Amino acid sequence: MSSPFSINGGACVAMVGKDCVAIACDLRLGLQALTVSNNFPKIFQYGDNVFLGLTGLATDLSTVSDLFRYKVNMYRLREERNIAPKTFANLPFICGFDSIGCIDFAADFIVSGTATDQLYGMCESLWEPNLAPEDLFETISQALMSAVDRDALSGWGAYVYIIEKDKVTKRLLKGRQD
Amino acid sequence: MDHRPQAWGRPRDDVYGAYDYSYLQSGGPKQMTQSPVVTGTSVIGIKFKDGVILAADNLASYGSLARFTDVKRLRVFLGTSVVGFGGDVSDMQYLDRHLNELAIDESYEGGGAQEEHGEKGKLNAANLHTYLHKLMYRRRNDFDPLWNQVLVAGLDAAGKPHLSSVDLRGTAFTSPSLATGFGAALAQPIMRKYAATEEDAARLTRDQAVKVVQDCMKVLYYRDARSLDKYSIAVVTKDGVELKEDEQLEKQSWAFAEQIRGYGTQTV
Amino acid sequence: MAMFSQNPLMNGPNYSFSDAPKTSAPEGSREHRFDPYTDNGGSTLAIAGADFAIMAGDTRLTSGYSINSRHHPKVFKIGGTTADQHDATIVLSVVGFAADGEALKERLDSICKMYRYRHGKPMSVKACAQRLSTILYQKRFFPYYAYAILGGLDEAGKGAVYSYDPVGSYEREQCRAGGAAASLIMPFLDNQVNFKNQYVPGSGEGHALQERERRPLSRNEVEILVKDAFDGAVERHIEVGDGLQMMVITSNGVEEILLPLKKD
Repeated sequence: MSSPFSINGGACVAMVGKDCVAIACDLRLGLQALTVSNNFPKIFQYGDNVFLGLTGLATDLSTVSDLFRYKVNMYRLREERNIAPKTFANLPFICGFDSIGCIDFAADFIVSGTATDQLYGMCESLWEPNLAPEDLFETISQALMSAVDRDALSGWGAYVYIIEKDKVTKRLLKGRQD
Repeated sequence: MDHRPQAWGRPRDDVYGAYDYSYLQSGGPKQMTQSPVVTGTSVIGIKFKDGVILAADNLASYGSLARFTDVKRLRVFLGTSVVGFGGDVSDMQYLDRHLNELAIDESYEGGGAQEEHGEKGKLNAANLHTYLHKLMYRRRNDFDPLWNQVLVAGLDAAGKPHLSSVDLRGTAFTSPSLATGFGAALAQPIMRKYAATEEDAARLTRDQAVKVVQDCMKVLYYRDARSLDKYSIAVVTKDGVELKEDEQLEKQSWAFAEQIRGYGTQTV
Repeated sequence: MAMFSQNPLMNGPNYSFSDAPKTSAPEGSREHRFDPYTDNGGSTLAIAGADFAIMAGDTRLTSGYSINSRHHPKVFKIGGTTADQHDATIVLSVVGFAADGEALKERLDSICKMYRYRHGKPMSVKACAQRLSTILYQKRFFPYYAYAILGGLDEAGKGAVYSYDPVGSYEREQCRAGGAAASLIMPFLDNQVNFKNQYVPGSGEGHALQERERRPLSRNEVEILVKDAFDGAVERHIEVGDGLQMMVITSNGVEEILLPLKKD
């Protein structure tokens, strides 16, 4: 239980829909079995439509997310433009990374955190191609909520972002507080 | 997976970390089999239309030393079934003695009338498999395992081909083709090309199946360092067992060795 | 590079047999010369309906990365009059160490047969469930490494599912997943069988939302759910696949269904 990946707990999931993507995280921050906070978001925004979900050791989340903010800001100053309009090109796009940098490009969904098994089980059975934004929201929410309810180290509410071409919708899901 | 008999029955290294062999030194009076000593490598088997084929090479290794080069690892039971042994050779010989006693008892029991009807005894291959399964599971429960994985080939009560396996923990299973040790990694994929399902196996002719087994033995000899080009092959059908114990691998080609790149100081 | 694994507990590939946190043996201890256990992978699933129960399991048998057999059933009829179990009314599924699973199955079966012989009637699921717990607990200090699920119809004719841990603690449940892909399947069951996290639209805000009312699922719905659950598990777990064996227990007896699963 002393693995840095499972001390604080947490879960993240991202899904592709039709002309939209969704990314969601739980809100728990724990110290092993003890819950310290129920308002610890794990999704960070780096542009109008660039989001990063991070799970793992909480102190590294802060460090890594700040480092990325610094790099993105430097990029904007140097290039005088927001990051990734070309690379991300308004395409609904998601990918995952492991902690040593291996990229996982996926056409369907990406999961991460202590509820990985549960999220894979949920996503594999609930997700389908070409979901409209509202359907994608329902799918990712059901997947995340049911998954974290079977993981002792994740839960306590969730944030869900639905990213469309012209807008981003952020919703708070109130989950079980146990 | 580590397919060497020395690794059987140990906690998996990739799950539990490297095994601490200092556990094996013990001054206690009762010594049970804690590790295999003289070992046989793969046994392979495949079903075909009218029966089953089993093969194993004639080598018994002492660690990396090719110690005994004329050891028969296929044993006939009651003239109707064949058992192929992988793993510890002394445990194989114990089991063989035990099965011979059983066969003699069975012949007395079955005797007379059955003999006249052409039946050589009551126990068919499926029964023998169940027997070995119970024996091996009992020994693992006593923490005194027989360090073998065995294949049983023959016919079941309905006269259909029977091929099954039991290992040192008493895990028993059947499949259209089976292989122990390195054969699980090297021979099974080849055999499954020809007998992926029971239906496929039921379409294979004897000659086709023999050819597949010979090919597999060749691949094993190429890539398994503890193997030999002398092997035994048994064909079991309703007519009995045809066992050949001095087969020689033929038409080997080592030309592929020229194509291997990227090892040692070789740069191109 | 085990510490870089994303696996929460084991710092290693997430196979069923590595679920428990490992603790290194204390210095000087002399444990396990021979490790009598191994895990043969696979997954099981059981769902109780209003007047039926479905027990399911995949038919793959693995050891490590090898597939030993593509057809090795984990779901068994128990306590019939004869060996062919044609009149059995109780079904047992076992997953974990296959040799222990089979030994457990055979013990429970012979006990059920003895009960039938002595009492002149078949064992009830409730009694069989209690007895199975006792069998498992009797081997508390050298356990059967098997996750068992028992299914049948109770005295009122309702579907009954009992799930066990390897040392015999048990509970009657609506549904349960066991084995290698249990962690993938169980949240799906919460969501689709017990309607967890489903609320009546527009019935309130946040925690005031009204939960969707539970209703018993039809046999057809459950069969589809079981297939979907296993298709998902097969996709993401290497130890699950090849075939899906389903036993449907109704008042007419036990019906066996065999469906294909992906073989990769």
